[in-house]
Amino acid sequence: MRSDRELSRVELDAFGAELDALRSRTLADLGEVDARYIRRVRGAVRLCCWSGRALLILGWFPPTWLLGTLLLGLGKILENMELGHNVIHGQYDWMNDPEFAGRRYEWDIAGPADFWRHTHNHVHHTWTNVLGMDDDVGYGLVRLFPEQRWKPFYRWQPLWVTLQALLFQYSIAIQHLRLDQVYKGKMSKDELRPLLRQFNAKVLRQWCKDYLFFPLLALLLGANALAVLAGNVLANLLRNLWTFAVIFCGHFTEQAAVFSKASVIGESRGHWYLRQLRGSSNLSGGKLFHILTGNLSHQIEHHLFPDLPARRYAALAVEVREIAARYGQVYNCGSFSAQLTTVLQRIWKYRVPEADVVAA
Amino acid sequence: MTLIPMSWSRVLSPLLQPLRWLVRRRWLREAEVDAVLAWLQPGWRLNRVFARVEGREWVAEDMLALRLRCNGNARGWRAGQHVQLYLQLDGVRHSRSYSLTHVGRAGRIELAIRRQPGGRLSNRLLDHLPVGALLELGQAQGELCWPQESTGVVLLAAGSGITPLLGLLREALARGFTAPISLLHYIREQGQRPFVEELQQLMQRHPNLSVRWALTGQVQSDAELQGRFSAEHLQGLALDSVLACGPAGFVETVAQHWRGPLQVEAFTAPERSVEPGSAVRLGFARTRRQVTGDSARSLLEQAEAAGLRPAHGCRQGICASCTCTLLSGTVRDLRNGALFAEPGQLIRLCISAPASDVDIDL
Repeated sequence: MRSDRELSRVELDAFGAELDALRSRTLADLGEVDARYIRRVRGAVRLCCWSGRALLILGWFPPTWLLGTLLLGLGKILENMELGHNVIHGQYDWMNDPEFAGRRYEWDIAGPADFWRHTHNHVHHTWTNVLGMDDDVGYGLVRLFPEQRWKPFYRWQPLWVTLQALLFQYSIAIQHLRLDQVYKGKMSKDELRPLLRQFNAKVLRQWCKDYLFFPLLALLLGANALAVLAGNVLANLLRNLWTFAVIFCGHFTEQAAVFSKASVIGESRGHWYLRQLRGSSNLSGGKLFHILTGNLSHQIEHHLFPDLPARRYAALAVEVREIAARYGQVYNCGSFSAQLTTVLQRIWKYRVPEADVVAA
Repeated sequence: MTLIPMSWSRVLSPLLQPLRWLVRRRWLREAEVDAVLAWLQPGWRLNRVFARVEGREWVAEDMLALRLRCNGNARGWRAGQHVQLYLQLDGVRHSRSYSLTHVGRAGRIELAIRRQPGGRLSNRLLDHLPVGALLELGQAQGELCWPQESTGVVLLAAGSGITPLLGLLREALARGFTAPISLLHYIREQGQRPFVEELQQLMQRHPNLSVRWALTGQVQSDAELQGRFSAEHLQGLALDSVLACGPAGFVETVAQHWRGPLQVEAFTAPERSVEPGSAVRLGFARTRRQVTGDSARSLLEQAEAAGLRPAHGCRQGICASCTCTLLSGTVRDLRNGALFAEPGQLIRLCISAPASDVDIDL
């Protein structure tokens, strides 16, 4: 468990000021290199997706079909993580380029970017790991912390989590519809209708593209439509599993902390920073690994500085780790497999109420 | 790589209408289509205007005329209008507004750019923009038009305010406008008379045109007028309608002295920052509202106080929900005091306070 030192008000302000200064230093240094980087990432996304789709047209021939599927999956992973997620955060708004404007970017995933800007950028990043405020804690499907009230429904959560991982893009898309609120009668059908229309339109566009247009194109070219369809399904599935694993490692590892609603009343900037540090967890790995996670492997830095270009997180991590050590805070970092194991352990452990955990 | 010439792309451009429809309906992402078009022809885009530099000509010590050829997306442009010119510097896309001094056939246009002392963009364009370079432009805007029925046109220009008026003048003379035209151009020094040779030739060819320069800086013997604009400068001119273009102060003075038909265009000088806490003018472009605000509170608070309901989220600069375009003026980042004054810059309302009079796209 965590062994953080409690910080006084004065210490908290100093802690916040150090992180603010770090942010300003990085912001002042942004320029050509960062702009070129994100354009290159987009170039890589296009290369992967287009070459993947071209290979899939060749049909079931195993080497091309597998490679095509993997390339398409890789393209989608890169687009969602390093390009889409980071651009939608407004990390590249300073470039003034309409193609990288966070407010306008629409990504290659079932959920509309507008939904994500609300549920993720606003709700999750402001109220990270605050129970009852951050819906990302278990997405209403999973009980990950003993502080969450147990319901009989959670007994089967390993099954729910498996389904969620496979259908992850839909899981984060419907989050914004607040179906639980509609079910409880707290939100009217009239409020739901426009959201549902937006949701349906985006899902329809995605399905038409992946499961209708490209298979039909293959058919027109005299190729095997079924092979293209299967390749697209598998590519989306691979992306779902990868993003699920990375995102669950962000805030639900063994050492991740959760917070009560009462603890964030009148929260200062320093306290907000501290909460982000305690509620997030990093993954160690190589450069390619970091890029494939959209640099969410530097989840702590991402939560401290959600609007700084993610390619800066690796350098920021060195200083953040040092600051955290000076203020006696645990810097939660581990290998992907180790962190994921603790997440899976949580899913298994908290499927039953406390009494049973103690008894076992 | 250039697989097809610019002229082909201009011809083929109207055929892309179905793609434009798909992009509008969000079935296609415009950036992807543009990437393919740009691969075929670097200046080709679905909707955005790109232009190739075809010629550079110094028309005064401090003014360069750029001859450009636009792709097929520059439609309905008229001389005398102005366009945004975009240029990327250190990863940031900057923009400035320049007037069209000429609009020809097949997408050929001319812009005149004046050197701003210390101006990053104008200096870069003037000194480092080679023939053959590709530039992005915005769509042309501006309402100035030639008073075709007028019996005496007076054109009043200050500094680079000559550029839209020259565009209109060239076109009117080419069309055979015969009523008297007087052009008064206010400039600081003798060497800053743009297009002086062309204007003198036009005077010889068209007896109804008279051009005079007024030097506001140094005293010169052959300058016919001295000092800034005053009502006496209009005496003796065939005067029916006036077109004036220059800095806001110049245009205001003209409007005070001339009550007849008048068209003006003013360019705003770079806004100077004010002390925190002083009153500023806030302009909300979409709702067409102007309110008086202060330079201490965030734009989000002040917009809400003015009765607007801007989209917002965390109210502390985390979520970027309240991102909005800064149209003009300077804003200060409340977190670190950094100033932003780039027109078209995306700013976050919740952490930006006005540091001058500002206009935002809200």
